[in-house]
Amino acid sequence: MIEPAVTCRGVVKRFYHYEHRTTSLREAFIRSVLRRPIHVRHAEFTLRDFSLTVAPGEAVAFVGANGSGKSTALRLIAGIYAPSEGVVETRGRVGAVIELGVGFNPELTGAENVVLYASVMGLSQREIAQRYPAIIAFAEIGAYIDEPVKYYSSGMNARLAFAVAVSIEPDTLLLDEVLAVGDRGFRERCLERLRGFRARGGTLIVVSHDHVTLRELCARGVWLDRGRVRADGEIGEVLDAYERHITGSSPAPAD
Amino acid sequence: MSAAGSTLVTSSARRPPVLAEVWRFREFLLRLVVRNLKVKYQRSLLGFLWTLLNPLLTVGVLVVVFSYVVRIGVPHYWAFLVSGFFVWNFMLQMLNAGTTILLEHASLRRSIAFPTEVLIFGAAASRLVEFAVELALALLLLIAIHHGGVPASMVLLPLLVVLQVLLAVGLVMMIATLAVFYHDVQHALPIVVLILFYVSPVFYPASLVPAAFQRAYLFNPIAGLLTLYHVTLYEGRFPPATLLAGVTVAAVAVCLAGYGIFNRFKPLFAEIV
Repeated sequence: MIEPAVTCRGVVKRFYHYEHRTTSLREAFIRSVLRRPIHVRHAEFTLRDFSLTVAPGEAVAFVGANGSGKSTALRLIAGIYAPSEGVVETRGRVGAVIELGVGFNPELTGAENVVLYASVMGLSQREIAQRYPAIIAFAEIGAYIDEPVKYYSSGMNARLAFAVAVSIEPDTLLLDEVLAVGDRGFRERCLERLRGFRARGGTLIVVSHDHVTLRELCARGVWLDRGRVRADGEIGEVLDAYERHITGSSPAPAD
Repeated sequence: MSAAGSTLVTSSARRPPVLAEVWRFREFLLRLVVRNLKVKYQRSLLGFLWTLLNPLLTVGVLVVVFSYVVRIGVPHYWAFLVSGFFVWNFMLQMLNAGTTILLEHASLRRSIAFPTEVLIFGAAASRLVEFAVELALALLLLIAIHHGGVPASMVLLPLLVVLQVLLAVGLVMMIATLAVFYHDVQHALPIVVLILFYVSPVFYPASLVPAAFQRAYLFNPIAGLLTLYHVTLYEGRFPPATLLAGVTVAAVAVCLAGYGIFNRFKPLFAEIV
């Protein structure tokens, strides 16, 4: 049996809202003197009992309303968040483009960011040098590559982020609404790249509200609804069900 | 090297990563150090010379003030000062970095999973490069002018540098963790650093502290560390074994405590903007 690329077992993610968080030490001190709890915390569940197995080479789309836990799920798979309960396992190198970026430092130039990103993903200096021209060419960023990223337009930022995330040749690629930013030409080139990535056996997980692209790119859909998997199956069926749900006036069943 | 084939497991059961995990990120660490130094000195005419000029000017002012105005009465005061001042300068910069390191790389931390302590090690390594330049200059002056030779006690120098780094990394990890949760830290730190400057033997020798307070005074590991440097470099003698042992224990304890605290709260760092 082939080992899955991504496994989530019974994952729960709680975020805490601290009523007195990051306020001040004074507050914390006064409360500790008065023997009141320093942190009044309210747990908010972003994911509840989330389980998912993705086989190598699969292309999966996460769909759902805003706040349903799609991005949190991606961050857990990327290893940025630690689950509150449960286990997340990934095999191989995981590349992620989340919130329109791969973690560029706005003060650094595009070139410096590319090198920093590639090195944190485990590429050697020689590997980085080899891939650098292709990244610049794909991002179509020209002389701006030597300007600080803070001067980039959102399109340039997304192009460079995508280019560098693909260039590290991840085994699993996580994309969060990247395709929505670029113009049509860039979108086409991205899709071309992603098809190539899949043809080489790469595993893909995409979050997007662009259902046309999702139908074209992915074979499997996962519908997240308030932190739970509501449907998991063939992309067309899942998207149809989800679209019926949002266009239909029927309120979501209470859980 | 490639991460391919490796399995990454994250679960609610937190376990501190071993140093081998950090070793995987050595390439990143190197780029980070190069970048830190480049950012600091690019677009400046004198470039890397600033790293020497700034502390040298401070040393010059302190030498004039405490040799001719407020006479501290240490023979060859300049030699005394340079044998400890750069160590203080290193600690000072590290402490200040504590409140900025995690903020500086906020977007990276929110987008990529990597051991956050690499950022701390990167800051320490960058400062260490600058310190090495300063120390080399100080050693040159001490050997050529003050001692007219190389005192045997200087063999202890590598050990002292190790203790200095352990102490600094531990303190920075504590400060960085606190700074994530409490914004007060960045306001309080300059005051703490100012006090530390006066309660540590930076511009005066620890021997001036009244005997009754000596024990309490040396309880501050930075004071202990600076005294070790003064004895070893300025006096050219081997320090008392008790002092060396005490500072070693303190440095290791601070480093372990800092690492423990940092790791305990690390999983929350990405969630707090």
